[in-house]
Amino acid sequence: MKEPIISFKNFGFRYKQQKNPTLFDIDLDIYPGEKILILGASGSGKTTLCNCINGLIPFSYEGEITGTCTVNGTETSSASIFRLSDSVGTVLQDTDAQFVGLSVGEDIAFSMENDMVPRAEMLPVIEKNASMVGMQDFIGHVPFNLSGGQKQKVAIAGVFGNDVEILIFDEPLASLDPQMGMTAVELIDDISKETGKTVIIIEHRLEDVLHRHVDRIILMSAGRIVADMSPDDLLRSSLLSEYGIREPLYLTAMKYAGCSLDDNNLCDLDALELSSDNKERLKAFFTEEREAVKENTNEPVVTFSDVSYSYDSRKKVLRDISFEIRRGERIAIIGRNGAGKSTAAKLLCGIIRPDAGTIMLEGTDTSTLSVKEIGEKVGYVMQDPNTMIVKDIIKDEVGLALEIRSIPQDEAERRINTALETCGLYRMRNWPVDSISYGQKKRVTVASMMAIEPDIFVLDEPTAGQDYHSYTEIMKFVNTLNREYGKTILFITHDMHLAIENTDRAIVFSDGELIASDRVFSVLADPDVISRASLKQTSLYTLAVKLGLDPESTIRHFIEYEREVESLE
Amino acid sequence: MNNKLIINYTPGPTMMHKLTGFTKVFLFAVMSAAIISTFDIRLLVPLLIINVIEIVSMKPDYKPIVVMFAITFVTVTLVGNIMLFFVSPGVGLTNVGAEHVIWRISDKLYLSKEFLWYIFVFFIKRTASFASVIAFALATTPSEFASGLNKCGLNYKICTIVSLAYRTIPDIANDFINIRNSMMMRGVELSKKASVGKRLKNTVLILVPLIFTAFGKVGNIANAMDLRGYGKHKKRTWYAEHEKTRWDPVIRALTVLLLALTLYYIIRYRIIDPYPVDYWCPWVPREEIQQTNAIDTLFIIKWIKRLKGE
Repeated sequence: MKEPIISFKNFGFRYKQQKNPTLFDIDLDIYPGEKILILGASGSGKTTLCNCINGLIPFSYEGEITGTCTVNGTETSSASIFRLSDSVGTVLQDTDAQFVGLSVGEDIAFSMENDMVPRAEMLPVIEKNASMVGMQDFIGHVPFNLSGGQKQKVAIAGVFGNDVEILIFDEPLASLDPQMGMTAVELIDDISKETGKTVIIIEHRLEDVLHRHVDRIILMSAGRIVADMSPDDLLRSSLLSEYGIREPLYLTAMKYAGCSLDDNNLCDLDALELSSDNKERLKAFFTEEREAVKENTNEPVVTFSDVSYSYDSRKKVLRDISFEIRRGERIAIIGRNGAGKSTAAKLLCGIIRPDAGTIMLEGTDTSTLSVKEIGEKVGYVMQDPNTMIVKDIIKDEVGLALEIRSIPQDEAERRINTALETCGLYRMRNWPVDSISYGQKKRVTVASMMAIEPDIFVLDEPTAGQDYHSYTEIMKFVNTLNREYGKTILFITHDMHLAIENTDRAIVFSDGELIASDRVFSVLADPDVISRASLKQTSLYTLAVKLGLDPESTIRHFIEYEREVESLE
Repeated sequence: MNNKLIINYTPGPTMMHKLTGFTKVFLFAVMSAAIISTFDIRLLVPLLIINVIEIVSMKPDYKPIVVMFAITFVTVTLVGNIMLFFVSPGVGLTNVGAEHVIWRISDKLYLSKEFLWYIFVFFIKRTASFASVIAFALATTPSEFASGLNKCGLNYKICTIVSLAYRTIPDIANDFINIRNSMMMRGVELSKKASVGKRLKNTVLILVPLIFTAFGKVGNIANAMDLRGYGKHKKRTWYAEHEKTRWDPVIRALTVLLLALTLYYIIRYRIIDPYPVDYWCPWVPREEIQQTNAIDTLFIIKWIKRLKGE
C-alpha cells in the first residue's frame, strides 16, 4: 500500500472569529496520483478543507486546529505556507483576482520570481507551461483582454511554475460558460493523466465535473465528511438530494422513467451500459403523449426592430437585431461573452442607445424616454449584488428608488412592504445589509427593483456562484413573480439547467447576430446553435442519441414532464 | 481606456519602449532632478527638447496627451498666473532682480517685463516636467516601473504595490461604470440635469459599493500571492526586467552624463558661486541685479558669504 500524500487524522478547525468549528472529525487519506472531487453545498466546509492543505490555514486565516493534517510528509500546522507552496498549487475560484501579473508571461512567472529564478531560466519554463494549457500565443497579452477561461488557463500554468505535486482547483467552473467549463474539465483531466499529479477539485456542479473520470468523491456537509465513495455508488445512493447537490440531468430522466440504477458506468453517460429493461422504460417515457406546454400569445411588451449598435465606429457589437418578447414570457438570453447579450440588455434599459433601428417598450419608442423613465418599466438586476447595494439597512435599500422619485410616504411604505414580503425579507427589513448571505442580498436587489413596480425584470446571471439550494430558492421566487404577478422575466445566463427548467424561449446571440429565437428544447437540440453560443450539449441530448431517439422531442418531453410535476405541486 | 489614462500595459515597438525598466526609471529620476534643480532657461529648454524628442520617437496617440496638456495649461498656468498678477506683481523683481514696468495701473498693480519673463520660465519648467512624465509613462509598463524601482534599491514590496495599483485601475473603472449604470436605472440622476450638489451626493452613493467590491478583491489577491510564494525571500527576480538592448548602455551612459552635469550645476551655481537670483534673464546683467531672492533655499550660504565680506 502506498503512503498517502495528504492525510487528515481526527482533524478539526475553528476560525478565530467564529464560535463554532467549521470542520469536525475529518479523517481522510489521499494517495499520490489520485483525482478527487470534493463535493458540497456552500458553507459545507470544502474550501476550508482545501485551505488547510495549501497552508492558507493557519498562515492567512488564524484559528484553532485540532488533530493533524500531513501534506507530503509535513505537518501543516507547523510548516510555512512557502514550504507548502512548493508541493501544493492552488487555482482559486476568482480567476480575475488571482491574475497578479500584468501580462500572461509575467503571471506565469510570478512564483518563479518569488523563488529568485534568474529571468533566462524562467523563459523556457513559461514557454513550456503556457503551451501545456494552450496559451503559448498569448504570452504578451494583458489580463483585461482575456476571457475567464483564458485567465484560468494562465492560473493553471502559473501554479506549475514551481513544479508542485498536488493541484487544488477551487470551483474551477464558477465563472466559465458551459463550453469553457467543459474544456477546463478536460484540461484538468489531461494534466492529471500526463503528469500523474494528485488533483483535488472542489465543485458543487457534479454533472460538469463528471464529464471526465474522477477516482473518488468526498461529499461534505456542515463541516463533516458524509460520504467518501466512487462516483457510481454516490449516484446510486440518495445522498445527493439529501445534501442539496444537483444530480445529472440524465439521471433525473432515468429516475422519472422508473429505471433501476444498477447499470455499469452510471457516472459516465458515454460508457453507460443501459440494461434492456431501462432502455425500454426510457423510450416509453420519452415517447409518451403529454400535454404540450402552452405557447404564450399575449401582446408583445418589447420589440427590437433592426437594431444595430457599436461602441466605436470600427466593429458593430450588434447587427440588425429583431425580436419580440411577449407579456409574461420567461426568456433565456444566451451567448458567449462578448456575443452581444449584455449589450442588448443595456439597449433595452436605455443606458446605451441604438445606432440604427427602434426599440419599442409597451408600445412606446424608447428613444423618447429617459433612462429613469425606462427604469420604471424595466428592472435590471446585476450579477453581483454587492455592486448594487448602497444603503446600510435593507428597508432603506429597497426604498431608495422611491425616495428619489419622491413617492408619497404611505404609498412608498406599501410598495416597500409588498416587495419585502414577496421576496421573503419582511422579517429582516430592519437588518443591516452586511449581516445577510449572498443569496439574500440577491433578493434584496430584486426587491429594490420590485418596489419600482416594473413589468419586466432583467436578471443578469442570477445563479452564478450559487449552490443548488440557493439556486432553487431564487428560481422559485422568480417564478412566483412571473406566475402570480404576470411579470416578464429575462435571464441573461450560461446556465443550461436554468434555461431548461425555468424558461419558455431562448434568444441566442453569436458575434453580434441573433442566431436563434425559439423554444428552449429546439435551441438545445440544434448542434450548430450550441457550438456557436458556446453552450454544451446537455446530457439529455446525449441520452437521446444513445437511445436512437430524436433529441428535440426528447428534451421537449423532459420539460413537459417537469412542468406537469411542477403544476401538481 | 488605456489611451484615456496614458497607461501603457504592453511594451511598444520603438527603441524607447524596449529599454529595460531600470534604464527608464534611472533616466526619469535624473531627468526630474535636473528639471527641479534649475530655473535657468538655458538648461530648461534643452531638457524640454530632449523629452519632446523622446515622446515623438515613440509615435504615440497625441490626442489624450494634448488634452491633458491643455487642461494643465489652462488651469495651472493661465488661471494661476492671472491670480498671481493681481496678488503679487512684484515676483519679477524678487526672482529676476530688476523691474522694467511696461504697464502701470496703480502703485501696487503693474505689469513688468520681468513678471512676464518669470511666468514664461515657469511655464517652460512645468512643460518640461510634464513632458518628462509623459515620456516616462508612455515608455514604461507598470511592471517595468516596479522592477526598475526595485533595481534602483527600493524594497520590492513597495514596488509590487506600484504594479498592483496599475493592475487594478481598469477593473475599478469597469466596476464604476457598472455601478453607475445600475444607479441610473434606479433613478439616481448623474447627468447634467441634476444640480451640482445633488450630483456630488449621488456620486458618493456610487462610491460605497465601489469601495466594498474593491476591498473584497484585496483579500483574494493577497491569498493568490501568498499561495505562490510571495515574500518567501528577501529578494526576488523580475520577469519584466528583460535583457539589455543595444541602446541600454548608450542611454545609461547619457543619463550618467546628465547626472554629472546636474550635480556640477548644483554645486557650481547653487553652492560655490550662487547666482544672486533664481532666474537668469537675458536683459538683466549680473551687475545690475537690484534685489536678491528673499526666499532662497540656499540663503544661508549667501548669508555666510556676505558675513565673510565677499
